[in-house]
Amino acid sequence: MLYAVAATVAAVVLAPLAASGYALLYDMVFVPRQPLSWQLVAPADSLPRAVPMDAVVSLVTQLVPGWLLQRLVLVGAVVFAAVGAGYLVPAERRATRVVAAVSYAWTPYLAERLLIGQWGLLLAYAALPWIVWAALRVHAGRAGAVPRLVLAAAPAAITPTGGLLAFATVALLVPGRGRRRSSVLALGALLVLNAPWLVAALVTGAGGTSDPAGVEAFAARAENWAGPLAALAGTGGIWSAQATPGSRSGFLVPLATLVLLVMAGVGAGPLRRRLPAGVAVRLGVLAGGGLLLAALGVLPGTADALRWAVLHVPGAGLLRDGQKFLAGYALPLVLCAALGVERLVARWDRDLAVLVLAGAALLPVAVMPDLALGGAGRLRPVSYPADWRRVAALTAEDPGVVLALPLSAYRAYPWNPDRVVLDPLPRYLSAEVLTDDTLRVGDVTVAGENRRIRKLRRLLRDGRPVAGTGVRWVVVQHGSAGTVDPAWLAGLEKVHDGPFLTLYRDPAAPPVWREDPSDPARWAVVAALGSALLVVGFAALSALRRRPTAW
Amino acid sequence: MRKALTLLVSGLVAALLGVLALGGVAAAATSSAEEAKDAAKSAREAAQKAGKPDPFTPEIYGTR
Repeated sequence: MLYAVAATVAAVVLAPLAASGYALLYDMVFVPRQPLSWQLVAPADSLPRAVPMDAVVSLVTQLVPGWLLQRLVLVGAVVFAAVGAGYLVPAERRATRVVAAVSYAWTPYLAERLLIGQWGLLLAYAALPWIVWAALRVHAGRAGAVPRLVLAAAPAAITPTGGLLAFATVALLVPGRGRRRSSVLALGALLVLNAPWLVAALVTGAGGTSDPAGVEAFAARAENWAGPLAALAGTGGIWSAQATPGSRSGFLVPLATLVLLVMAGVGAGPLRRRLPAGVAVRLGVLAGGGLLLAALGVLPGTADALRWAVLHVPGAGLLRDGQKFLAGYALPLVLCAALGVERLVARWDRDLAVLVLAGAALLPVAVMPDLALGGAGRLRPVSYPADWRRVAALTAEDPGVVLALPLSAYRAYPWNPDRVVLDPLPRYLSAEVLTDDTLRVGDVTVAGENRRIRKLRRLLRDGRPVAGTGVRWVVVQHGSAGTVDPAWLAGLEKVHDGPFLTLYRDPAAPPVWREDPSDPARWAVVAALGSALLVVGFAALSALRRRPTAW
Repeated sequence: MRKALTLLVSGLVAALLGVLALGGVAAAATSSAEEAKDAAKSAREAAQKAGKPDPFTPEIYGTR
């Protein structure tokens, strides 16, 4: 039943992905076969925001085409989110499980993070109910529970935010009297899962701090008249207006949020009674922590503190888009709300109860119907033009550093109309690609961290040519705003001139046959990644054996 | 009498939610491409009116 409901929700949300091609939207970039390059596995010049996600995608796309992987992760995220919530809720009725499943898979959080393309975060969101479920088994002292917990947390740990969320959940739910050994094992395993991005952050040349302008730019946003805190209370409030479903601006949306909160309040009691002692309080702490982190950028006083931290404390930049931590709030909210409806109808006639529960399951869809069909058409697959294959082949024949022009982190291609996407070139080409990492949010410019691109930007601003800088290839991407000064291309030879891409080569630039393999810092990241994979592999073997383990 | 009334009201609310949900999903299904284009156009026009940059030019990650 739950799987059928989850499959229906996934089909309704992701129906456009039935068409062929790649859905390219904001941070969601998939390519036919992502190269296994140092730049993606252990970025030396940027913060490890996509570590180990890029490495995992690179590994998987050696076996599975990128278009298929995109569908697998997106469908998997929606299905496992729904089934996980439905499975986790300690309900007495099957219909309550359906309410929880639909409510968790049809949240503004899921919609907004899907529409900004952060599929890694969606995996963490989907894994969260399973992490809680597995943590409760460890909490109960069940044999073989730790390997299951590791397997549940592994998909979450492919991004730093997801990894932190998983670690915080386990740290809150597992420890307790008489569970010291399993707690240490579980937390140790979670630490190893987080090791790739932690090590990458320690060894990157980008430093650990970021531009404090990002705090204001990425703070929670009001979606309607009720303000940003009300948006967060309803699990919405992402900073981007373009990633917010239009229905969220509706006049009655705060009323629906109020109904949700009231139901959650009614369901808090049953949740507390039906979970093992103390667990509901810990889930409450998880929810409160998530909500607080999400609100840091908009609360008076905390926004200034966050600005200071982002500028001075390495790693604090993770908190600037705090709304992403709202996943920890969304799950307890949905569990409580589903139980609240169940409690409300507990003494009612069976037919009436089923009717009300059916209405409760439909409420999230009725309030935000424009999540359907990939956010009402925003998620639509397209094909990369033939130019891209040609440029990839040419640059692969003669390896060297590639510069993408015009300088811009995000692009709006004519072949992917009305959509903005992170430049796919670094993931499409096997060479190292330099792209701008400056972010513009409305009028606010958030500086990037890559020192190499900063140097090149300065040079280009002075009107000097790319030739002689060590860059072997320059790819000019047409049909997008931004200008390319002909002076920048002086001394370069045109190798390919297509409708969408023009490729230039600097014949004097030294060829780079392979990226420096001797850097021990990068090998440290590989070692951390290997350790994480080993832990996952060991956990999988332990779980498959289906017998009590020393864990 | 009270039970019948509760059943009627609950049924009406559930039906309304059903109609809203299915209607919304159907609307998204029938005009998804056009809606996306319209949404992009509206965002462009709103930005233009507010004297802000076009959110669908490549330099812009998004607007608040």
